[in-house]
Amino acid sequence: MLDLSSPDDPADGLAAVVALRRLAEQLEAAEVEHAMRAGWSWPEVAEALGVTRQAVHKKHAKRLIAAGVELRRR
Amino acid sequence: MFQRFTKDARAIATGATKIARELGAPMVEAEHLLLAATRLEAPAAETLRAAGLDYDGLLDALQDETARSLAAVGVTASTPRFSPFVRAPRFAASAKLALERSLKVSLARKDNFIGAEHVVLAILRAPAGTVPRALECAGVDRVDLQQRF
Repeated sequence: MLDLSSPDDPADGLAAVVALRRLAEQLEAAEVEHAMRAGWSWPEVAEALGVTRQAVHKKHAKRLIAAGVELRRR
Repeated sequence: MFQRFTKDARAIATGATKIARELGAPMVEAEHLLLAATRLEAPAAETLRAAGLDYDGLLDALQDETARSLAAVGVTASTPRFSPFVRAPRFAASAKLALERSLKVSLARKDNFIGAEHVVLAILRAPAGTVPRALECAGVDRVDLQQRF
C-alpha cells in the first residue's frame, strides 16, 4: 500500500519520485504488451490508459512488431 | 565538445546507451554511463573496480537504491519484463550534465582532451541523484573515491 506520509528527508522523497516514474514507464511497456498479446486493439488500450490511439501506437508498435506480437489492425 | 573525447570516453557514451536499452531503462542516465565505465580496459575503470564498483557490484547497488527509494513511500515492486524498445533511448538530464561536467573537469586539470577519468569524475561529483545514493548503498565513500582519480 502506498504510504502517503512523505519521508522525513526530501532526498528520499525525490528519489522515490524518480523510481516511481521509471517503474510507471516500465509497467506501461509490460502491460501494453500484455494487452496486445491478449488480443486487445490499439483504441481499447489507448482508452484504458487515457491517452490517444496515436500516442500509444507511436510509442509501442515498433517494439511489439519486432517482438513478433500479432497486432489487431483496429 | 565531443571531438575532444578520447576513444574510451566515447565508449562510455555508446556503452551507456546499449546498457540502458538492455536494462529496459526509459532513458540513458548518469548511472548507465558509470556502468559502462566499469567495463572499460582503462585505469579509470580499474580504480572503480578496486573500490568494489565492478559492473555487477554497481548494478546490485543500483537495485538496492531503487528498492530503498520505493520503500520510503511504502512501495515494493519487481521490475516489469517487456520486449525492448527498438529506438535507442535518449540521454536524460543526468547524463547530459555528467558529460558537460566532464569538460569542466578536463579544463580544470588543464588537459586538452576529455578521457574516461574526466567522465567518471564528473559522474562522481554529482551531489544528488541516483548515483550518489547507489554509492552510499554500496558503502563507497564518494569523496574519497574522487581523490583516487
